[in-house]
Amino acid sequence: MNPYLPAFAWQSRAILGRHIRVHLRNWHTATVPPVCEPLIMLLAFGIGLGRQIGSIEWGGGQLDYLHYLAPGILAYTTFMSSFFQSLFGAYVRMHFQKSWEGQLTTQVRLEHVVWGEALWAATLATAYAVVVCVMLVVFGAAGWLTLHWAWLPVVIPLLFLMALAFSAVGLWFTSLLPSIDHMSLPFFLVILPIGFASSTYFPLPDLPYLEPIVQLNPLHHLAEGLRQLLLHNEPTWHLAAAAGLCLGVLALLIPLDMRLLRRRVFGDA
Amino acid sequence: MIPTNPAMGGNDCVMTATGLVKSLGGKRVVDGIDLTCGAGEVLGLLGPNGAGKTTTLRMCYGFLRPEGGSIKIAGHDLERDGDAARRALGVCTQDNTYDSDFTVRGNLVQTGRYYRPRIANLPARIEALLKQFGLEEFADQKPDTLSGGYKRRLMIARAVVHEPKVVFLDEPTTGLDPQARVAVWELINGLRAQGMAIVLTTHYMDEAERLSDRLQVLQAGRVRAGGVSKRVLGDVVGEHIVLIETTAPETAQVIAWFKERGARPAQVLAHWHIPLDAPGLAAFVAAFPELRYEVRPPTLDDLFLALATEQVS
Repeated sequence: MNPYLPAFAWQSRAILGRHIRVHLRNWHTATVPPVCEPLIMLLAFGIGLGRQIGSIEWGGGQLDYLHYLAPGILAYTTFMSSFFQSLFGAYVRMHFQKSWEGQLTTQVRLEHVVWGEALWAATLATAYAVVVCVMLVVFGAAGWLTLHWAWLPVVIPLLFLMALAFSAVGLWFTSLLPSIDHMSLPFFLVILPIGFASSTYFPLPDLPYLEPIVQLNPLHHLAEGLRQLLLHNEPTWHLAAAAGLCLGVLALLIPLDMRLLRRRVFGDA
Repeated sequence: MIPTNPAMGGNDCVMTATGLVKSLGGKRVVDGIDLTCGAGEVLGLLGPNGAGKTTTLRMCYGFLRPEGGSIKIAGHDLERDGDAARRALGVCTQDNTYDSDFTVRGNLVQTGRYYRPRIANLPARIEALLKQFGLEEFADQKPDTLSGGYKRRLMIARAVVHEPKVVFLDEPTTGLDPQARVAVWELINGLRAQGMAIVLTTHYMDEAERLSDRLQVLQAGRVRAGGVSKRVLGDVVGEHIVLIETTAPETAQVIAWFKERGARPAQVLAHWHIPLDAPGLAAFVAAFPELRYEVRPPTLDDLFLALATEQVS
């Protein structure tokens, strides 16, 4: 069976609706982290650390650190929130709350549960990215930041694609982690290397052994592509590379996630 | 054609499972099981732990895919016409798998959203269910705050929110106090009266006896015996149970006498339980006229003992 078709089934939408409903009910506590985290990062790093650094070298010219950081934070927030939700949130629902098993006794099948989780993680991460966009606009209104603002709404679908790809990575770990005690493993293996080798927070040094890793990291291409677009008004190949790598991740991991989660949930191959 | 169930006087079977086979972890846990259940009938699946009850049930409600055999729910083949089959069945799992992020009422609403065609007049259906299951006063509480009995009520209410034709209840009263069990039995009786076909697993003897119209006894993945409960007992256990104190001086001799004649005595605490048919009982009485003993009709406990002894030998 085609593992992608169930994404469009009513059952997957029903599961997505369930997650949205639960989230919106706790909206006041659920809104604090997405608003505060990028705000703190922009203030602490962009303004605080930026004052110490002054300007940095990027794209053959000088750039003040806040302007370097702003597109990076947008990319990083999308990646991080999607991965976290599809890993931690899905694991808790599958393993501890047993709400997957409850859903699976209805007309909902496992492929819908998985797509519901992936779509939810991507939707939430995209919503968080929109919050970051709003924050950047506020920084702009305060006179601290000048970007090509018209591109912000245009890049939202690409951010959604990125979030969906990393939700597939998160679900892969959900299918493999033996227990909640191993939750630090994906942070160590995914968040740290992908986050650091990505030119989100700082320009990467020109090292030959780093180059292949960086070129395969969709987060790097997204951060660089957004930077060129928002600072120089130039759509570059980085955006296409980010989209291509995300599609590759989805092509590779969605069938694998389905198979591994099927084995994990039903106990048969 | 929907097959008919002879035990139900020819009523249509709304649930039929034929030749179910399933292996888990390389071990065959279900090995050719047939089940049928008619509208307004309660079928009890009975058996010791590991007999394959839950695996059988999980195949019947579409959670596990059988390796062999077929399942029909209300005329729909579960494999080929899964969506329609699932629309016609409801499930109460062994664990409480309600959605703990929602209230009691919210759980029923949310479960209702997992069915198409949509449930007609869902809000009214939910209010009726809350009343029927005695959950009205807890409707706005989170299910984790309820007592064990009320959690099970919620689980059963969830299972029937879409008015299914077949309901599967996996150990619906395990872990409940006697009062809560009786309350759950009454609710199950109510569902039977509404014409639902109910398939339940249990290892409580009294539950199977009082609640089920028919019993199917599973042992090591096969149906060991089936039919109305009295006949199942007679077939597997025998008509009479003789109880002898283990401490009596002549006991060893008596037990040896039984074993020579092919009877299967089982020791439970301070008593030997020996199932016998009428001629066996007559022979025993004639052989040991001086012995102190007790004779009683068999219960489902004796059935379990008999199965356990069979398995050991």
